[in-house]
Amino acid sequence: MTKNSKLSLFDELGLSESLDYALSTCARCGFCKPVCPTHPFGGGFEAFSPRSKIYHLKKIKDGKGELTNDWVERLYQCTTCERCVEVCQTDIPLVQIWEAARAESVKMGSGPMPAHKKFGKFVEEFDNPYGEPKAERDRWLLPDIKPSEKAEILLFGGCTCSYKMPPMLQTGAKILTRVGIPFCYAGGKEVCCSSPILRTGQIESAKRLIGSNVDLFNEMGVKKIVTPCSGCSKTLRHDYPVWAKHLGKKWDIKVVHFSEIYVDLLRQKKLKPVRELKRKVTYHDPCHLGRAQNIYDEPREILNSIPGIELIEMDFKRKDSKCCGAGGGVKANYPDMATEISNSRVKEAEETGADTLVTMCPFCQTSFTQSLKALNSPLQFAGVEELLLESLE
Amino acid sequence: MNQRIRDRLKEKLEERVTFDSELLEVYDHDIGEIPSIIMSMINCKPEAAIVAKSNQDVIDTLSIANEFGIAVTPRGQGSSGYGGAIPTNGGIVLDMACMNKIISINKEPLTVDVEPGIIWNNLSFELRKIGLDNSICPTSAPSSTVGGWFPKGGVGLGSMRYGSVRDVVTEIDVIDLDCKVRTYSGSDMEIYHQTCGIFGVIVRLRLKCIKAERIVPYGVLLPNTESAQSFIIKARERLKPYTIILHSSGYIRMRKQENYENGNGTQDFHALIAFEESNKDDITLKSIIDESAGKSLSKETAMEEWEDRFYPMRIKKFGPSVLVGEFYLPEKCFDRAWTEIEKDLANDTLGMEAVVVNDNKMAVLVYILDNAKSMFYQIRMAKALRPLGIALRYGGSFYTAGLWLANNSKELFGMKKYNYIVNTKKERDSKLLLNPGKIIPPKIRQIPLLNICVFMNLISKLMSPIAKISIYKNRYKSVFNEKHGE
Ligand SMILES: Cc1cc2nc3c(=O)[nH]c(=O)nc-3n(C[C@H](O)[C@H](O)[C@H](O)COP(=O)(O)OP(=O)(O)OC[C@H]3O[C@@H](n4cnc5c(N)ncnc54)[C@H](O)[C@@H]3O)c2cc1C
Ligand code: SF4
Ligand code: SF4
Repeated sequence: MTKNSKLSLFDELGLSESLDYALSTCARCGFCKPVCPTHPFGGGFEAFSPRSKIYHLKKIKDGKGELTNDWVERLYQCTTCERCVEVCQTDIPLVQIWEAARAESVKMGSGPMPAHKKFGKFVEEFDNPYGEPKAERDRWLLPDIKPSEKAEILLFGGCTCSYKMPPMLQTGAKILTRVGIPFCYAGGKEVCCSSPILRTGQIESAKRLIGSNVDLFNEMGVKKIVTPCSGCSKTLRHDYPVWAKHLGKKWDIKVVHFSEIYVDLLRQKKLKPVRELKRKVTYHDPCHLGRAQNIYDEPREILNSIPGIELIEMDFKRKDSKCCGAGGGVKANYPDMATEISNSRVKEAEETGADTLVTMCPFCQTSFTQSLKALNSPLQFAGVEELLLESLE
Repeated sequence: MNQRIRDRLKEKLEERVTFDSELLEVYDHDIGEIPSIIMSMINCKPEAAIVAKSNQDVIDTLSIANEFGIAVTPRGQGSSGYGGAIPTNGGIVLDMACMNKIISINKEPLTVDVEPGIIWNNLSFELRKIGLDNSICPTSAPSSTVGGWFPKGGVGLGSMRYGSVRDVVTEIDVIDLDCKVRTYSGSDMEIYHQTCGIFGVIVRLRLKCIKAERIVPYGVLLPNTESAQSFIIKARERLKPYTIILHSSGYIRMRKQENYENGNGTQDFHALIAFEESNKDDITLKSIIDESAGKSLSKETAMEEWEDRFYPMRIKKFGPSVLVGEFYLPEKCFDRAWTEIEKDLANDTLGMEAVVVNDNKMAVLVYILDNAKSMFYQIRMAKALRPLGIALRYGGSFYTAGLWLANNSKELFGMKKYNYIVNTKKERDSKLLLNPGKIIPPKIRQIPLLNICVFMNLISKLMSPIAKISIYKNRYKSVFNEKHGE
C-alpha cells in the first residue's frame, strides 16, 4: 500500500484543507466509541472504534501511516449510521471521511469488499444494484397511477422501492393522485441514485449515475423531487448538489422525502385519516432519514394523526436512535453483523410493549422483517405510509 | 515478547488477546497531544493487548505477566491526558472497557456495585430506569469508565455537593500481581486512589448513588473576577447547588468560534449553576446574583450550556489543538490568581473552565489554543504549566500526577503517603510490572540515568520564557457545523 496516501476524494472536491483541519481537531474523547454499532464486532479492541479510525487516517494524512488491507476492511465495517457524527466533540464529518477513505481504497485496488463489487458490476450493466432488468424499473406502477408528462414534481422511484418494495412507492403515488398533485416519473430513464455505490467508495460509477440523473432531471425541468426511500433522499439532498457542481452541471432542485409531503397535506387538511387503527406502535428512526436529514417529527406527526394509534417511544430514539445494521454496504458484505444489530433493535422495540414496529425506510424494513421472523417476535411490522393509507377515507 | 509467552497468553485468553501491530498502534496514547520526540523517550508501544471479559482474564494476564516479567498497563477508555494509561515499558495493555456490567443495586445504603469498564452515562441510564442516578460524574461521562476515574482521581459534575470520586466509591475489589481478589473499603482503599493502578487492577467498585431528580440549570453573567468569586462563595454558603461551572468570556467565544484575542473583549464570566429540583431556591439565587453585581442569563442560554456540559473540548474546533493546564484553587483566591494568569498569557487565545467542588475549592482548566503541527508547539507546551505555577503560589494544588506529572507525586500525596506508596511498590512489585512509570517516574530509554519527568520539568522551566512570547493565532474556522445539542 502507498505511504503518504491522500484521501484524494477530498482533494477532488476541494475539501482537503478542511478535512486536514477536521482530523486535527479530534479530541480523542472517545464519545464516538460506545455509540458505534459495529465497534463490538471487533472483539472490543480499540482499533475498531471510530476514534481509532480517525487517529489512523490522520497518521495517513501526515504521511506516517498506511491504508493497509486490514484498515480498509475495518473502514467497510461501518453502517454509515452517523451516530458517531451526532456525538462528536468537535463535529468532525466522520461519515464523509469514512466514505472518502473507502474511495481511496477503491482507487488503490483494495476496496470495495466482494459484495460491493458485485452490486457495482450490476449497476454498470443494469443501472441498479440488484441486476434487475432496466426495462422493468416501472413495473411497480399500478394501472390506476398515471404520472403526468410534465410536472414540477418528480417522483423518484429508487432501485429498492421500484424493484423490491413497491408498496412504499405505490402508496406515495396513490396519495399524490388522490389529492390531485400532478407529478412526473422518469420510468426506465431513471438510474440508481448512486447511494450504495457512493457509500462504498465506487466514485467513478457514482459520478456516471449522478451525472445521468442530473441531466435527466434538468431536461425534464423538474423543480422538486420526492422519494419514499431514505437512502435516495439523503443522497439526492446532500450529495447531488456537491457532485453536480463538481461535474459542472446545474442543480436547482429541492429534494423531499415523502414524510414531508404527507405532513404538509395533513396540515392543510387535504389528507384526513379517519379510520381507527387500534395499534400500539413504536417508531424506529432510520439513520439516513433522522440523523442524516433531520426528519424526526414528520413520521411521528403522521402517526399521531391516525385515530387509534398509540405511539410508544423506544429508549434510543430520534438523534440517539440505534441503527438497523443495513447501511453502508454492511448487510451485503457482513450479513451476520447486520442481523445481530437488527435483532438487538427489534428486542428494544419489543421491550416497549408495542404490538407493531414501524419505520419509513426500505432498508430498515427489510432488516426488521427478517429479524422479526428469525426471532419469532410477537411484533408486527408496518410502514408509516401504509398505516396512513389504511386510515384514509 | 517471545513466542512462548505469546502461546501462553493465547492459550488462556484466546481471541481476547492480540499481537497484531495494527490493533496495538492505538493503545500507545491517550488524549494528550505529546510530541513524538517525547513519546520516543518511553516504550509506549505495547506488544500485546487483552480485552478482559472476566476476573479470570485479569488473573490469567497478571499471572503470565508476573511469571515472565512483563509490564501490564490497565486501561479504561484512555480519555485522560495525564498519560496514566500509556505503556512506558511495552508489554501488555489490559483493556477493561468490556467488563462493564452492573453487578447489583443495593438499597440500604443506596449503592451500586459495578464492573470497572461501565461508562458513567450508561450507568446513569440504567439507574434512572429505577429512579436512581450517579451522584457525580466526570464531564467525559459519555465515554469514560467508572474504573478509570478512581485510579486517576478527580472531581466533576455534582462534586460540589457529593465530593470527589474518592468520596463516592465505598468499596473496591482489586486483583494484585499475586492474582488474589481482595476487597478494600475505607482507608484501606487509599493506596489505590490516584495511583493509576500501579498496585492492582480494580475489578469491582461500589458507588454511592442518589435518588434521580431533574436538574435545573441557571445561567448568570458576572462582570469580573471579583464578582465571580463573590457569587461562588455566597452560593456555597446560602444554597445547595449540585454544580457550578464557571466559564471565562474567552472560553465562551472560543466555543462559538468567534475570532478572539485575549484583552480585546469583555472580561466577564458565565456561571452555570445547576440544582437538583428539590434544592432550587429562586429567591435566594436572585439576591445572590444581585449582590454579586451579576445578571441572569435566559433560560434558553442556561439550558444550552447545560446540554453542552459534556463538550468542554469543542473549542478544539477553533484550535485545532489545545494546551491544557489543570489545578485546584481555593475559591477565595480565584480573583487574584485568575487576574494574574490572564495577565501572564495576555497575548494568547485563552479560555477558562472551572468546576466548583467541595472543600471550598475549584478545579480549574486553562485552555490555550494551539496547533500541534506547528513548529513551535513543542516549545509552547511549556506554557501549559505557567498557570499551574501561578495557582500554586495562591494555595492551589496539583490535580493528579499520572505519567507526565509523576515528578510532582510528592506534592500531590504529601511526603508520608508518597513514601508509603514507594515502599509498598518495592515490596509488592519490585520489578515494576504493574503500570510502570506512573507516580514513580520512568527513566528515559536512551539515557536510563535520567527520569523523564525531571527532564521535562527542566526543559519546561528553560523554555517557559520563550514559550510565553511565542504566540499562536488561528484564523481558520471549521467549516463543519454542530450536529448535537439541538
Ligand atoms: C471531554 C472530557 C471531559 C473530561 N472531564 C473530566 C472531569 O470532569 N473530571 C476529571 O477528573 N477528568 C475528566 N476528563 C479526563 C478523563 O476522562 C477522566 O479522568 C476519566 O475518569 C478517565 O477514565 P477512562 O476510563 O478514560 O480511564 P483511562 O484514561 O483509560 O485510565 C485512567 C487511569 O486509570 C487506570 N485504570 C483504568 N482502568 C483501571 C482498572 N480497572 N484498574 C486499575 N487501573 C485502571 C489507567 O491505567 C490510568 O492510569 C475528561 C476528559 C475528556 C476528554
Ligand atoms: S457511522 Fe455508525 S457504524 Fe460507522 S463508525 Fe460511525 S457510529 Fe460506527
Ligand atoms: S467523538 Fe469526535 S472528537 Fe471525540 S474521539 Fe470521536 S472523532 Fe474524536
